[in-house]
Amino acid sequence: MWEVIKSVLAAFFGVQNERQRHRDFQHGKPVAFVAAGIALAVVLVVVVAAVAIVAAR
Amino acid sequence: MRKSLAWMMGAGSFLGLASSTLANGWNMPVGVTDVSREIYSLHMTIFWICVVIGIVVFGVMFYSLFRYRRSRGAKSANFHENTSVEVVWTAIPLLILVGMALPATATLKRMYDPSEAELDVMVTGQQWRWHYEYLGEDVSFTSSLSTPRSQVNGEEEKDENYLLDVDEPLVLPVGRKVRFLMTSDDVIHSWWVPDLAVKQDSIPGFVNENWVRIEEPGIYRGQCAELCGKDHAFMPIVVRAVEADEFDTWLAERQEAAAAEASGVDREWGMDELMERGEQVYGSICATCHQPDGSGAEPTFPALAGNEALLNDLDRHIDVVLNGVSGTPMAAYRGNLNPVELAAVITYERNAWGNESGDAVQPSEIQALLE
Ligand SMILES: [Cu+2]
Repeated sequence: MWEVIKSVLAAFFGVQNERQRHRDFQHGKPVAFVAAGIALAVVLVVVVAAVAIVAAR
Repeated sequence: MRKSLAWMMGAGSFLGLASSTLANGWNMPVGVTDVSREIYSLHMTIFWICVVIGIVVFGVMFYSLFRYRRSRGAKSANFHENTSVEVVWTAIPLLILVGMALPATATLKRMYDPSEAELDVMVTGQQWRWHYEYLGEDVSFTSSLSTPRSQVNGEEEKDENYLLDVDEPLVLPVGRKVRFLMTSDDVIHSWWVPDLAVKQDSIPGFVNENWVRIEEPGIYRGQCAELCGKDHAFMPIVVRAVEADEFDTWLAERQEAAAAEASGVDREWGMDELMERGEQVYGSICATCHQPDGSGAEPTFPALAGNEALLNDLDRHIDVVLNGVSGTPMAAYRGNLNPVELAAVITYERNAWGNESGDAVQPSEIQALLE
């Protein structure tokens, strides 16, 4: 679970190391990455909105 | 070492050249408002950040190309990835962008706050002129290009403010917050005055807000910045910023003149004064399309000189001018011109350029039709 989140965060940032990538492709399930991607995208939107609301005050 | 010194000197002379070029009118103006100065300094800050990044990136690149060339026995490295370098070169641009976004957003917030304005001016774009209304002050007028056609056609030398001159500039007070309400009667225009750092689309059916607080008296010129048809380049903007007390005097004079004009509706007007007033209105409003000599530009803009259908039907003529013709560029002028101007311009069109209807349309007749 934590490995999946770490990989999705790395994808958000745009940098992933080769070791992690190999592990993901050998052991990971695609559904887990898709789900984590959607969930973290929602988190990102909420965080950006919260920052914008605070900054607008 | 000597090489990198030469590099730095080259870069230095480039920067010197760049700054002097910028000072020579290639750059955006600093402007005469707080906001315009903020925008300018943001622009320069970001510009220099880009210059530094450019020099560093291309410097490293060209240095590497030169220093590690094959003829000097350089061997290319062969590795797939380096996570720490990738993290660094992703994080640095992120920080730079956030660093630029923070002050830019603060300025944007100020620009979008038209509250607590002391004067409201409605700006209406029209093909191809601007209409200004000082809301709640009973003062409104149309501002049209005043550069003579002879200069446009090359029959006369073009003056300094070629295509940047109008018959009636927008007069604004210095030191007061002025709110603009921008809209349009026909297509999308954009009211742009660089010195005031205002560039706002005027869109039919919408009202956009913007504001200025001008700090120095002076004449500030601008143009329509949204391609809006045949005479897009012929609808300049001129703002005359004056001291607040001078503005108050000007506004009071305009209010008096408007009141006098309103009272002029009731009296009987003579042919000569209608013709004189009508020629003025025609030149400012109608001549861009129907031409100064009434010859029009067929098929879009019908000729008025010798137009029998028009001359034989006064009611139709009045209707066209008041209400426009839908499906054509002919706009409705009932809201833009007052009864005196409408009566005068119709009279002028019926009696100028060899038209001899003899009709003198009275402002009171028009007033009755407007109610
Ligand atoms: Cu325009």
